[in-house]
Formats: sequence, structure tokens, C-alpha cells
Amino acid sequence: MTAPGVIVIDGGVLASAKDWLGARAVVSDSPAQRVPSAKGGSAIALEDVSLRLGAPDREVEILRGASLRVAAGELVCLLGPSGSGKSTILNLVAGLARPTSGRVLEGDRPVSGPGPDRAVVFQDAALFPWLRLRDNIEFPLKLQGLRQAARAQRSEELLRLVHLWRFQGRYPHELSGGMRQRGAIARALATDPAVLLMDEPFAALDAQTREILQGEVERIWSATHKTILFVTHNVREAVRLADRVILMGTRPGRILHEEAIDLPRPRAATDERVGVLASGISRRIASEVEKIAREEADDAWMGPGTHGSGDPRRHLGRGI
Amino acid sequence: MAILVGIWAAASELAHSSLAPGPVDVGRAIVAGVRDGTLVRALLTTAVRLIIGYVVALALGIPLGTALARSSFVKQSIGPVVLGLSSVPSICWLPLAILWFGLSELAIQLVVVLGAALPIAMATENAVKHVPPSIERAARTMGARGARLMLTVTLPAALPGILGGAKIGWTFALRSLMAGELLFVSGGLGQLLETGRDLGDTSLVLAVVVVIVALGRASEALLFARADREVARRWGVESSA
Repeated sequence: MTAPGVIVIDGGVLASAKDWLGARAVVSDSPAQRVPSAKGGSAIALEDVSLRLGAPDREVEILRGASLRVAAGELVCLLGPSGSGKSTILNLVAGLARPTSGRVLEGDRPVSGPGPDRAVVFQDAALFPWLRLRDNIEFPLKLQGLRQAARAQRSEELLRLVHLWRFQGRYPHELSGGMRQRGAIARALATDPAVLLMDEPFAALDAQTREILQGEVERIWSATHKTILFVTHNVREAVRLADRVILMGTRPGRILHEEAIDLPRPRAATDERVGVLASGISRRIASEVEKIAREEADDAWMGPGTHGSGDPRRHLGRGI
Repeated sequence: MAILVGIWAAASELAHSSLAPGPVDVGRAIVAGVRDGTLVRALLTTAVRLIIGYVVALALGIPLGTALARSSFVKQSIGPVVLGLSSVPSICWLPLAILWFGLSELAIQLVVVLGAALPIAMATENAVKHVPPSIERAARTMGARGARLMLTVTLPAALPGILGGAKIGWTFALRSLMAGELLFVSGGLGQLLETGRDLGDTSLVLAVVVVIVALGRASEALLFARADREVARRWGVESSA
């Protein structure tokens, strides 16, 4: 089914991934980044997490009562429209935000702040413009106090893993959007994090580049056994990548539903089954949106007097 | 350039007055000033003052600007003061500086530092405020915090804007120093200008102006041209200002 060319590329990636795994010992001698093995196999857990922001009188509810478990080595996609709190969940797990209530756990200990065991790939790549690509990838290693020789070896492995070895000396503005995202993925992998958090990393890319990079994420994931939490608003992207898709809704942001994706891997961008499942989920989203719209309307109708203008039903038909 | 000098020569020939010296007269005045050392000594005095005042201004202005950008306490307490002071031409502080410090280097440095530090601080504040949030968030997820985050990520990210402020600061320092030296008998190019006026020596006055122009151009080439090129190469844009 797959074209022979794709298999060749696969072989290359797996080979370099194997090199990379073999060289893992290079960083694993710093024990701080080793995450204690998760209880019951869950690498990340959210327990009834809510987030509200703003002054008490003008509070905005960003996320309501979200509970989620992600098993170690699982690839989970958070799928939803903007305002559904999917990036918020990512920020909470990253430690860049703190929940108003509920607990966010990594393994069995609560997340208390950002750390190199949970790397983030941002939508705009966020490579440092004043550093060459290679120095960007070595930056987190420098922070960990790795020696120059070890850094150089590690960054070479990573650059080869994401096929950017030739471009190691370029500054970020000299790279294409897709290359910058690959660079950001390599940088995120540098400290050998247990968890990789990806915040709509391909949203700003063209369709072809996006599909190629989706394939790369799947290959890197299966080569490195990272736990990946991937945020997207693209249904097809979610279905192609995920073991499990978490559907999210808006106002307030919350988890609506989850769906296991039981397709064999690697999945091709052109796989029809991806399309079929994606349209199923799209239909589900449409009906959820409709349901929510109806509920919200009902809420308003159930509360006459709150607006001081009496029962709005009485006004139906007015002015026709 | 050659054409402009030609026009200047022709104009001074037409005017035929000691008040309008030609390029040859000015050139002669420069050579004489170099020979007897007055011009060289004045230039050195001015350059040393400029460099000291400018370095102090950078050392004060960049931390002040960073604090203004990052601490709402600093912003609310001294932000309005900085804004107000920056609208006062720094030479206005000279009388007060003389009362405080007497006719000393300290008095003239106060004027230079005040003149340069405030624009540097304001440019730094602006540059730090506009560092893309994702840059700092990315660094935090890698474990960078506190002073290390500031020094290895935030300030480098703000560099194009800070460089713009540094350039403005340099010209402000030079202007403040010239004004200070003109009003204040202390050696330096500004005083040499005054000497030229006292003697009615327009050639000397213009010679000093030419030296000041050269000083400005040379410092631009030596200090900022390289930094500008480096920023352009890395960011793919020109630095501001």
C-alpha cells in the first residue's frame, strides 16, 4: 500500500533513531530528569482540574472540571476549537500555569512548575533568533551543565533525527517554517524528557509540510517511546496521530468526550480509514456544538427575571 | 562629498571674509592643532569623558529599563519620574551639578550620564516588553529561571531594541557633553570651540566641528556598524533606530 520511497525514508529515520537511542546514556547520567515510574502506568493525570482567571468580580472560567489520564508512551491528542482550554491543559501540564482547583500530576507527584522533564513544542517554534540552529538545540543541554563534547554529540544525533544536520549553522530566520518546527522538536527532545507537549505545532504550516511532519512525529514517537500530548484543532491531524482523541468544548473549556483510535501504524496521510474516523468525529463535534448551543439557550430561557425584562418567551414573535 | 567641499570653497572665496573660512583654512587649522597638540588633547579629553559617561549610562540604563519592563512596582513608582526627567534636556542639570559637585569631572559626567541613561532605559524597557512570550516560556520549560533566564534569554532576545537605544544614548551623550564643555571651562573639544570664539578664529571653530563630525562617524563605524550587521544577520532585520 505504501510507496517504496516511503519505506526507504522510514528505514533511514529508524536507523538514526536507533543511533539516537544507543546514545541515550549520554544524558541519562543526570538523575534529575529521570521520572519515577508512574503509578498504574499513567505519566500524566489531571484530577478535576479547573482554571479561572481575572479579578474575582470579573472571573473568566478557562477550564472546568477536567479529568484525564495519559499512560506512559501514549500519544494523546486534545482536539477542540479555540477557547476550549486545550492549550490550557498543556500549559498546566508544562507547569506554565497553575490550576485554580484540582490536581495536575506527573507520575505520582504534583506538577509544581516547568521543568526539562516536560518539553514543549510551541506553535511558533520559539527558537532563539540569536543562536544558530545547533546552539538552539544545545541550549537546554547547556542549562543542565552538560560538557561541550557531550552537547555536540547529542545535538548531532538530534539534528540527524530530524533531518536538519545540513542546516546546523543556520539562524532560525534562515529556515522554513517546517524546518523551524523540526528544530523545535529536536530541541524539545534534547533533554530526553519523559513527556513531550506539542501546542498546535503545525497549525501555521502548509498542508504538505504538515503531513510530512505528522509522519515524522509518529516515527519519532515510535522510536523514542515518549508520552506525547498533542494539541490541535485539526480533526484529521488528531485522528492520524492519536492513540486517543480527547474532544473539548468551549464556554467554559471542558472535556466532552474521548475516542480511542484503533488504526494500525504507521498511518499514511492518505489512509481512508483516517478520513472515515475523522468525519465521524467531525459529526460528533457538530452535534456537540449544537447541543451546547441549545443548552445555553435553554439556560437563558430558564432564568426569567434575571435580565429584568420578564420571560423572553413572551417577546417571541414581536416585531414580525 | 567632493562636490560639497568644492561648493564650500567657492562660497568662502566669494564671501572673502575671515568669518567664512574655506576648506583650506580649516585644514590648516586642523594641522596646526594637531602639531601643537591642542586639538589632540581636547579630542582625547572629550573621548575619555564620553566613553566613561556612556559606559556608566549603559550600566544604569539597561538594568533600569529592564526593571521598568518587568516590575510593576518599579514602573508605578519611578516610571513617571523617568518619563518626566527624560523630557528635560540634560544640560539643564549642569547648574545643579556644579552646585553639588563644583567645577569637577563629576559635574560634567552627571550631565552626560543623565542625558544618555534615560533614552537607553526607555528603549530597553520597550525592547524587553516586546520579547515574544513564547521565547521566555520555552526557556522556562527547559529549566531557565530568574537571573539566568534574564541574562541568557530575555536580554539577548531584546538585543535589537537595546542596540537601538544604545545608539540613541551615544548621540545623546555626545550632545550633552558638548553642551557641558561649552559652558564649563574644562578642556575638551567644547572648550576649544569656546576658545575659537574668544579669539574670533572661525577656522578653529570649524576645525573642531569637523573633528566632532569625525568622532561621531568613527564611533558609529567602530561601535555600532558591526553590532548592526550581526543583528541583521541573526534576526534577518535591521535593529530599530
